[in-house]
Amino acid sequence: MTATTESGRKQPFIYRLPVISHFRTSVGLQRGMLVTGLVLTVVFLLTAAFAPVIAPYGFAQLSDASGTFPAQQPPSAAHIWGTTVGGYDVYSRVLWGAQTAFVVIVVAVVMSIFLGVALGLLSGYFGGWLDRVLVVIADAIYAFPSLLLAIVMSIVINRGQSSFWGGIVACSVSISVVFVPQYFRVIRAETIRLKAEPYVESAKVVGASSIRIMGRHIFKNATRTLPLIFTLNASEAILTLAGLGFLGFGIEPTSAAEWGFDLNKAIADASSGIWWTGVYPGTAIVLTVLGLTLVGESMNDLNDPRLRGRRKSVGKTPAGGPDSTAGAQAALEAESRVL
Amino acid sequence: MTTLIEAPPSDADGLLPSKKKSSGGGLGTYLLIRFLLIIPTIFILVTMVFFLMRVIGDPITAAQGGRLPPEALAQRIRDAGYDRPIIVQYLEYLGQVATGNFGTTITDRRPVVEMLATFGAATLELAINALIVALLVGIPLGLIAAYKRDKAPDAVLRFFAILCYATPVFFAGLLMKLTFSVWLGWFPVAGRASTRTELAMGGLASPTGIYWLDALRSGNMAAFGDIASHSVLPAVTLGLLTAGVFLRLVRTNVIGTLGKDYVEAGRSRGVSNFRLVTKHAYKPALIPIITVMGLQIALLLGGAVLTESTFEWKGLGYQMVQYLNARDFVAVQGIVVLLAVIVAITNFIVDVAAALIDPRVRY
Amino acid sequence: MAINKKALQSAIALVGVSAFALTACTGPSGGGGGSSAAATGPIAYGTTDKVTALDPAGAYDNGSFMVMNQIYSFLLNSKPGSADPVPDLAESSSFTTPTEYTVKLKPGLKFANGHTLDSKDVKFSFDRQTKINDPAGPASLLANVDSVTAPDANTVVFKLKLANDQTFAQILSSPAAPIVDDEVFPADKLLDDDSIAKAKAFYGQYTIETYKKNELISFKAWPDYKGALGKPANDAATIKYYADPTNMKLDIQQGNIDVANRSFSATDIDDLKKDSKVKVNVGPGGEIRYITFNFDTMAYGTKAADADPAKALAVRQGIANLVDRQAVADQVYKGTYLPLYSNVPSGFLGANESFKEAYGDGGKPSLDKAKKVMTDAGVTTPVSLNLQYNPDHYGKSSGDEYAMIKDQLEKSGLFKVNLQSTEWVTYSKASRADEYPEFQFGWFPDFSDPDNYLTPFFPEGGFLKNHYNNPTVNDLINKQLTTVDKSARESAIEDAQNALAKDISTLPLLQGAQVAVSGSGVKGVDTTLDASFKFRLGTVSK
Repeated sequence: MTATTESGRKQPFIYRLPVISHFRTSVGLQRGMLVTGLVLTVVFLLTAAFAPVIAPYGFAQLSDASGTFPAQQPPSAAHIWGTTVGGYDVYSRVLWGAQTAFVVIVVAVVMSIFLGVALGLLSGYFGGWLDRVLVVIADAIYAFPSLLLAIVMSIVINRGQSSFWGGIVACSVSISVVFVPQYFRVIRAETIRLKAEPYVESAKVVGASSIRIMGRHIFKNATRTLPLIFTLNASEAILTLAGLGFLGFGIEPTSAAEWGFDLNKAIADASSGIWWTGVYPGTAIVLTVLGLTLVGESMNDLNDPRLRGRRKSVGKTPAGGPDSTAGAQAALEAESRVL
Repeated sequence: MTTLIEAPPSDADGLLPSKKKSSGGGLGTYLLIRFLLIIPTIFILVTMVFFLMRVIGDPITAAQGGRLPPEALAQRIRDAGYDRPIIVQYLEYLGQVATGNFGTTITDRRPVVEMLATFGAATLELAINALIVALLVGIPLGLIAAYKRDKAPDAVLRFFAILCYATPVFFAGLLMKLTFSVWLGWFPVAGRASTRTELAMGGLASPTGIYWLDALRSGNMAAFGDIASHSVLPAVTLGLLTAGVFLRLVRTNVIGTLGKDYVEAGRSRGVSNFRLVTKHAYKPALIPIITVMGLQIALLLGGAVLTESTFEWKGLGYQMVQYLNARDFVAVQGIVVLLAVIVAITNFIVDVAAALIDPRVRY
Repeated sequence: MAINKKALQSAIALVGVSAFALTACTGPSGGGGGSSAAATGPIAYGTTDKVTALDPAGAYDNGSFMVMNQIYSFLLNSKPGSADPVPDLAESSSFTTPTEYTVKLKPGLKFANGHTLDSKDVKFSFDRQTKINDPAGPASLLANVDSVTAPDANTVVFKLKLANDQTFAQILSSPAAPIVDDEVFPADKLLDDDSIAKAKAFYGQYTIETYKKNELISFKAWPDYKGALGKPANDAATIKYYADPTNMKLDIQQGNIDVANRSFSATDIDDLKKDSKVKVNVGPGGEIRYITFNFDTMAYGTKAADADPAKALAVRQGIANLVDRQAVADQVYKGTYLPLYSNVPSGFLGANESFKEAYGDGGKPSLDKAKKVMTDAGVTTPVSLNLQYNPDHYGKSSGDEYAMIKDQLEKSGLFKVNLQSTEWVTYSKASRADEYPEFQFGWFPDFSDPDNYLTPFFPEGGFLKNHYNNPTVNDLINKQLTTVDKSARESAIEDAQNALAKDISTLPLLQGAQVAVSGSGVKGVDTTLDASFKFRLGTVSK
């Protein structure tokens, strides 16, 4: 049981990697969605990686050899996307912002996955009181308004300090506090289901240790939906970060470039006919989230035999496999908490 | 791997001690246990918010920190009792909550219950408006997408749904405002009603706080029109975001059900796809839809912080950020308790509905 | 790589262009439609401030005080256009002995609810301030009042601890001093807003008709008012409370409100200035921004390993020579803040420009002077500075302001600035607990008197706790506070400012202006924008 479910034949390793196998399985519109998503995501990743090279100025640079940057200048040769009220170069800040967004996504989602998966496995496998307590706590945190939680966390963790890593960690932790219960729920549900599967039962009969069963059998299968949740939660992380920035709890401009923060500053500009300070970071958020969500959605479709595009050559797909239902469900539930 | 052992999507069942079909796990027992679970959830939330709020600072420093010397500040904090051991304050608070006394907000001195009623009404109004948009847009389009699956309309609709979700609500709100109120002048910029209507609504004998309801009850049609025109932009902005969720949800689940054996059987007997979608496929798809919608509605009722801030809609979400900035713990605690109750009750209703639709969920 | 860059550029540029098409049409043109029901109706005032309480003992903030000014009176108050207190409820007032300030009330006053207003109410109002001493209240302003007595129905005597307190007349028109109805307000606890509104416990130009806290207040002119402000120019008014200044801006442009006051962003004001349909009124402001130096923990400070007061002073003077206030005021604040060259802002008695004379080059920064003063003192450059600012208490532009100051200091090569920001609650505590060597602070005056910029700050480190203490300065400040002769007081204030500029306990940077935007055909807004910082709805008409 690997990511490839299309046929029983052993595929070369590279074809079994999540995204690539998805690509090979896809047809028609689904391939279009996947490709669009992939292109946007790759552009985002490359921008994040090469921001220092591409960006003409630093994210907090206010002057160069020819003097101080003027404020709120419309796009020109020196500043192709104009400057902000503080005199920052919009183009450079949007590029650098990709880096911030990327770091926050990775730190936040990795943190959540580790905690969420570990707790979910334990809770689902052992059950009992541990399970009940964890579920009640996870439900409670889940019910906590996520932006409020994020705000409080950003104050608690960092005491409001604004250094780059301080800000990143604060934002990431606040985002993961919201995500952990989601991963926890998904993995726990999968673990409970898998525990009843014949092959796990048989491993138990053979006398395999709990750790071995959890590690080898359940972990491998329960985490199949993770790449999907990862992409969808990555979008959510960006939106949460933007929401925090919008409410004034983001990362200060001298510490890092952050799209939500810049957008927040640009609200006043937009009603004054200064469109360039808001449109670019706003569009960057939209495109990045769009890219990640498209990838996630396509993967979700392709994982689920019922949702996969019907390719003529593929005859019968095993109907009603429960494998990705929980994942899709959680992914959908994860949405739109940033109202 | 047949559908028979499929895990039900709601996972509250995992909690219930009696998972076997045998024990007298009737609907009544299920509901009772499910209901009792609300209590620990609320208790945990209350505890969490209490301690978090104490960690992030006190309202006196927030308000006066820029004017008073540190000693005077410390004296005032002592006078207010915020320097007592935190556990004492916590027990005191629990005692108050247990007797139904939620206190008075610190920063604007209103009884918490009255504050919740005032802003809760505004939030409820926005939630209802947004929900109407979301349901009207999300469900039919979701059905169409499922019905036209993998064809051009499906692609367009899915792209639309993702775009709704990908656009930060404050960015969408800003673009809406600039287009429809500043440029075209069709709708007011922000707020729940014009001053004249606000005054008229304020003069009512026993207002519900939900403006359009009050306007209808008092037969004030001019006010109703004014309120309606104020409602459009916030409702559409927030509603589309939620519609994106509903659209995808309906589509996924309907397609999922269409793939089931019995539907395939129906199809093989020549039942049209349209009929399948509208008559047969929707019912089993209903449970996950209800689950997620329930949660989404609970989130809406909890106050849409960003939408409310963008559109000057003074509801729970907006107020919570204000109170949080002022470190008004009494107010924030009050709001979170209300949210906890809303979420818990919504989840309860959802689980009950799921149990009624599909009896298997109970076991 | 280049391809990707191009692809990204063009992709984003494409979206940018279409969005431009959208916003470009909408931007500066301002309001098109919108319900302009503003013909003869009441004056509509908009603000983003908030009301804490209508009870004077429970609030000490701009938003609450603004409303109190419409519905309560003071013993003394200033008339529009001036900040000098004149008799309001009083008929006359003066120091009868150096420590006794006697006020005679106008006879036969009655509150809007018919209750009598006499010396009993006055004594009650001040006594309950001190008694309640609410954490959010202004009782600290009455620190100099020893006791209040009411020998007869029309006479009140304030016994003061400090003789000849020159600020006392101002105190009587400050947030601690609105006169309230002793038959409505409890003596030992606060009264909630709705009860106050219901009991009509008002004596002001207006009474409150409808009260929806922090959403909407509607006022009606009160015909029996006999205070200093006279009959209002309109017969009714409303206050609308905004969450977001952008919405307030769009509403004033569309004519939905007549006046919009605190607080617009610099960008908003800049844009409103270009809109012919509205008028931007600017008045003197009392709000100031400055950098505080902690004399213990700054570079070469008394607690540093290499403590050296002379070098520490040179560091402060170096900074004072390098900051370009005009550039910050123009670029970040677009003229809504002005450069501030002294601890006492311009417009107040005795204010001068002591920092302009001592440092820089006629208001411009001077690299040479900075270099010289630091080399002469033997300071090793570049000096590392840990400069702190707060992003959420002094307006959204603080970040831009300090980024620019960092840039100005680092450009000289003399400083290496580590700029940090911290959220307000932590910031206000840590800044005065020796955690930050150099930090941003701001001040909004309690009342309109130069002393309010001196006494709270400098004697023995003041409320800033920055360990600055100069006996000469302390003496000068105490002297001006109790000097009855105006010109002698003025010169003491000037001397104090000059001495402060030499030491640089704080480095004044900017002074805020009061800005109120009025719609077309709205008159009288500029009249109320005076150094009393009180917005009086009664001056506005249309």
